[in-house]
Amino acid sequence: MVIGSRRARPDGATVAATATAVLMALALGMIFFYVPTDVDQGYSQRIFYFHVPIALTTYTLFLWSALNAARYLWRRDPSLDLKSYVPMHLGVIFGSLTLATGSLWARISWGTWWFWGDTQLTTFLIIFLFNCAYFMLRFSVEPGERRATYSAVYALLGVGLIPLSVIGVRFAQRNELIHPITFNSNGANMDGSMFLTFLVALAAMLSLAVTMYLVELRGKRIDDRIRAIRRLAEART
Amino acid sequence: MRAYRALLRKDLLLEWRGRELVPAMLAFVLGAMVLVRFGLGGETLAGGTRAATGLLWVIVVFTSMLALVRSFAQEREHGIWDGLLSTPADRSAIWAARATATFLFLALTQVVAVPLFWLFFLQEGRSPSLGVLVAALLLADLGVAMLGSLLAGLATHVRAREVLLPVMFLPFMLPLVTVAVRLTVDTISPQTRGFHTSQGLGFLALYDTIFGLLGWALFEFVVED
Amino acid sequence: MSSSDPAIRCDAVSRRYGERLALDRVSLEVQPGERVLLTGGNGAGKTTLLRMLATVLRPHEGALAVAGHPLPREARRVRPLVGYLGHEPLVYPGLTAGENLELYAALQGAAPDRVGAALELVGLERRRGDLASNLSRGMRQRLALARAVLHRPRILLLDEPTTGLDDDGRERLRGLLAAHDGTAVISTHEPEWFAPLHVRRIALAEGRLA
Repeated sequence: MVIGSRRARPDGATVAATATAVLMALALGMIFFYVPTDVDQGYSQRIFYFHVPIALTTYTLFLWSALNAARYLWRRDPSLDLKSYVPMHLGVIFGSLTLATGSLWARISWGTWWFWGDTQLTTFLIIFLFNCAYFMLRFSVEPGERRATYSAVYALLGVGLIPLSVIGVRFAQRNELIHPITFNSNGANMDGSMFLTFLVALAAMLSLAVTMYLVELRGKRIDDRIRAIRRLAEART
Repeated sequence: MRAYRALLRKDLLLEWRGRELVPAMLAFVLGAMVLVRFGLGGETLAGGTRAATGLLWVIVVFTSMLALVRSFAQEREHGIWDGLLSTPADRSAIWAARATATFLFLALTQVVAVPLFWLFFLQEGRSPSLGVLVAALLLADLGVAMLGSLLAGLATHVRAREVLLPVMFLPFMLPLVTVAVRLTVDTISPQTRGFHTSQGLGFLALYDTIFGLLGWALFEFVVED
Repeated sequence: MSSSDPAIRCDAVSRRYGERLALDRVSLEVQPGERVLLTGGNGAGKTTLLRMLATVLRPHEGALAVAGHPLPREARRVRPLVGYLGHEPLVYPGLTAGENLELYAALQGAAPDRVGAALELVGLERRRGDLASNLSRGMRQRLALARAVLHRPRILLLDEPTTGLDDDGRERLRGLLAAHDGTAVISTHEPEWFAPLHVRRIALAEGRLA
């Protein structure tokens, strides 16, 4: 175990960071200069190109967290616990950004900061509460196998919660006409350039998430190794 | 199966002898309803039957919290977990028995709560469909009992259990209650009666199925050390 | 389990509680039919080891096998073979002695008529209908012992079984152990009392073999 070894190839995090920078630049350029202004909603509609990709990235992070949670329960490999925790942690950040951009969009489009009738926002609120509970759970238990197990179980429950939230809130509100429907069963409701911009923005957000994931993972691994070294040093004395 | 029956019998027997949980839940329900009824004032409840129905569900949720926090209290206080876990019995049987017992306690509480609710809050001709309400309550009770027993098992070894369990449970209650309220409130006025009722009940059944399966599969991990 | 497998085998087994090592690379072997005493002060790791053998706790490092079955992978196969007496009596205070044993008989897959036999073995046959909370500490300990032998396990794991027992109870324990033709691992603070039973001693200190 050598810390700080120099490798010939750049590691994953650096590659991802580079890709993110490129994609972000491209996306921002397309959002502000390439894509035509929306007929119905005007210039502020461009928030859509941030809000929805961020929302989708949040969902992806949760799924990734749950996947690693299941793998942890199967293998009991501590690194999988970390790989489940980090996306959940990033999910808070991206989730908050989803709520923030959603709220901003609501403000600009309809004049209110919040609208309970909006299914997307309400669903994300539920998910946000789930996230907070996840962290409360994690902080209430000593680090170790038990904490990892509990976190994994709760993460898996959360993944059950997400589709139920979406369906349930939609049932209860039953006025999704408020939230602009851009995707329906016929496919994307947008013309070519808008769809392309959306895809680039989505790729940029996912790339950002991957970068942050790899960076945080690496940071936490180094933390763990320092802790292990300290433990070894104490055992020897 | 034998283990499940024996464990369920144990839970029911202990509650019958000790009589701690169900009376507490009944007292809470009665107290809450009286408080709301008189607190919100006089003859007519602001918002009418619709608001009252929503309130009923809120009271149901809080009552189930009472039941859940006390789950596995005996096993924890007297260190009996080791006794149960060292036997060959399926851990899921422990979960299933507890979920069944909790479901029965909740349903029992509502047998009292629903008539009270009718008495206190409802006016002639403007009430939710009793059949739908009962069906929704039973389905909701089942979901709460199953998911709640899993979370209670998880929280059993955690320090801040009394605070953590409600916090962990809340996000899962929200879709359940949202649908249940909408479902039952819709049955009040003739225009929306029958509208989406089957969808709403179907959602509750889906909720129960998902968390039933997850509870069955995950309880083992939660109690292992 | 083949006849050549040891009843219990530990290979550098470790178990951590937070930062503290409760068991530190413990290796030992117990042959079928042997009687082993675990001695050591408080915190030596005796309870942790017994709980691990009872499949209630998992090893964090090392290899552990009971009757040839590796733990924790084959824990399900091990559970019917072991009878565990814990630090606590492991009985429900709100149930009678008989009801407690009936519950455990169902959980352990023992025939219901074993309940009466087990109660007789520990001398509680006349207290069958008494609530466990109304039994004295010594009687509850006897009930716990009955619980451990209900399903006639091949391997007994007893954590300080003499605690709280009166003279009659102790005699019954000795008789029970003498008649038990399987393996027994017993943790105790009074090893001399077990001497007539031809036991081997294993001493633990601070999680390690002393």
